[in-house]
Amino acid sequence: MTTPVPGAPRILLVEDDEVIREATQLALERYGFPVETAGDGLEGLERFRAAPPDLLLLDVMLPLLDGVGLCRRIREESQLPILMMSARTEPIDVISGLEAGADDYVVKPFETAVLVARIRTVLRRTGLGPTAAAPAAAALGPAHSVRVIDDLEVDTDAMEVRVAGRPVPLTPTELRLLLEFTAAPGVLMERQTLLERVWDYSWGADSRVVDVHVQRLRAKIGAGRIETVRGFGYKLRRTS
Amino acid sequence: MTLRRQIAAVIALVSCLVALTVGILVHQASVRQHTEQARKSATAALDTVLTGYDATGELVTGWHAAADDPAVPPELRRLAERGRQGSMLGPGPRGTAMWAAAGANGRVLSVRMDYAEDERAIADLDRAVQVSAALSVLVTVLAGVLAADRISSRLRTAARTARTIARGDLDARIGPLGRARDEVAELAAAVDSMSAVLRSKLASEQRFTADVAHELRTPLTGLLTASELLPPGRPTELVRNRVRALCGLTEDLLEVSRLDARAETPELADLPLGPLLARIVAATGTEVELRVDTDAVVTTDPRRLDRIVANLVANAQRHGRPPLLVRVEGATVTVRDHGPGYPEEVLRDGPQRFRTGARERGHGHGLGLTIAQGHAEAVGIDLRLANHPGGGAYARLVIPGPGDRPTATAAR
Repeated sequence: MTTPVPGAPRILLVEDDEVIREATQLALERYGFPVETAGDGLEGLERFRAAPPDLLLLDVMLPLLDGVGLCRRIREESQLPILMMSARTEPIDVISGLEAGADDYVVKPFETAVLVARIRTVLRRTGLGPTAAAPAAAALGPAHSVRVIDDLEVDTDAMEVRVAGRPVPLTPTELRLLLEFTAAPGVLMERQTLLERVWDYSWGADSRVVDVHVQRLRAKIGAGRIETVRGFGYKLRRTS
Repeated sequence: MTLRRQIAAVIALVSCLVALTVGILVHQASVRQHTEQARKSATAALDTVLTGYDATGELVTGWHAAADDPAVPPELRRLAERGRQGSMLGPGPRGTAMWAAAGANGRVLSVRMDYAEDERAIADLDRAVQVSAALSVLVTVLAGVLAADRISSRLRTAARTARTIARGDLDARIGPLGRARDEVAELAAAVDSMSAVLRSKLASEQRFTADVAHELRTPLTGLLTASELLPPGRPTELVRNRVRALCGLTEDLLEVSRLDARAETPELADLPLGPLLARIVAATGTEVELRVDTDAVVTTDPRRLDRIVANLVANAQRHGRPPLLVRVEGATVTVRDHGPGYPEEVLRDGPQRFRTGARERGHGHGLGLTIAQGHAEAVGIDLRLANHPGGGAYARLVIPGPGDRPTATAAR
């Protein structure tokens, strides 16, 4: 029960509260994930550099280097999936974590099943999850294709994005979001639809996740490409 | 009766009384003066007549001097017949006249001075006094009303602000209320400082609630995760059940404190109500019958509508009895159960925190209705709680449509 499945995605858990750290580690190990832990931000950074995990599970409030700072530092060198855990749900806490580059967040207290579901969803986007290939390929449509909108190129095979010929590094979540947009340029994508398709959220989730990711995507591929449709959602501009 | 009217009425009454008194005094004085004057003249004339009569036995002409004039008033005649002298007002051939008479050798000698002119003069004076009294009463009352108006309008401003504060807007201030430094200004300053103190007290209270809830989340997370590691069994179930209740309570507390602090602006969108309710009801995981009679497009924040309906349904499930019925009629949503209905206090005072009438209605923490009410206010939904005539709690939501501007209190 507690033996990690060989080849299972490795998780680095950075959490300062001892009980949460130990209990979460034990719980995740029961689900078959090997878990390494760190008690503060700097230790987390060290562990990350020593042996990069497949997923980072990060508390927002950490001693020495807080979760947001750690997230930003790691994003500078890696596009690995990052999941934030937060005891605060004020917009500022949630948004600053997402802006620093986190893919998603869970609010404390959470049930392990919920946490595991989020972990699996994020992993699936990176191609590490067990059911990675199938839905992704289905959503991406016909075999080899490079979607071109002006000077934006999305190679759905190599999973590469280029703007004016220059490759742009995107996190798996950003890429997944861009694929939704490029699949239907000019079509309105409601926040709720994006939440369901990219984040696997069911009804009633927090749409700020979408907003912040769209902003991050705009910063990387050019602000004018994704339009805001007030009160509804976003759409990709067909031509600029 | 308003303060303005009271002041105006008192001023009017007092100035009328003053005018009346002055009028009467002036009238009496002028009557006395005219009478004395006439009497003096008549007496002087009579003296002249008497002197002339004594010397010549003839009557002087003038002053209507006469002997045994039949027109002499009878009282005066009797006086003169007794050999004495007197004067009095009495009817003359041309209106009132001042008569003076005296007896001389068994005859009654009399003179007469017309008094009608004096009467007209008195009447003229009276009229002048009346007109000026009326004018001054009018002016005084007007001035009084203006002064009262200023006071009462400032008091009204103060009262309006106090009511705004009572409705929960602790930012409302009365302000200086003009340049006057009187009792009204003092009252305004006192109310302002009271609301400032209230505001800071409330803010620290709200911060405290939010901080407590946040602080609870960390140990609760450990507790929840750890409880999931326990070996399966009845004791574990009991522990998990209570941990979950604690988590729910903490989340409710946080939600209430967020609503109190009006921390979030509603995200309004135009949506068809029927499908929205179908999703919301399905997400409650409770056995609820949803009946859509007529669908309508509403302008609301779907997440908040979800919180309202979910809390009403949870309340119905916890305190009421099935069947639960959610009904959509146009932009109106009703949630009804078949239990004992809402307790008296909830219907009378509205939802209060941690007051459920728990003894009669089972248990619960009484935050659900407060949360529903708070979200409803934030997005301009009219939420009414009642008991259905056929029994059971009956909540009714009227949701603004695309045409209505929601009076969102949280949209500041």
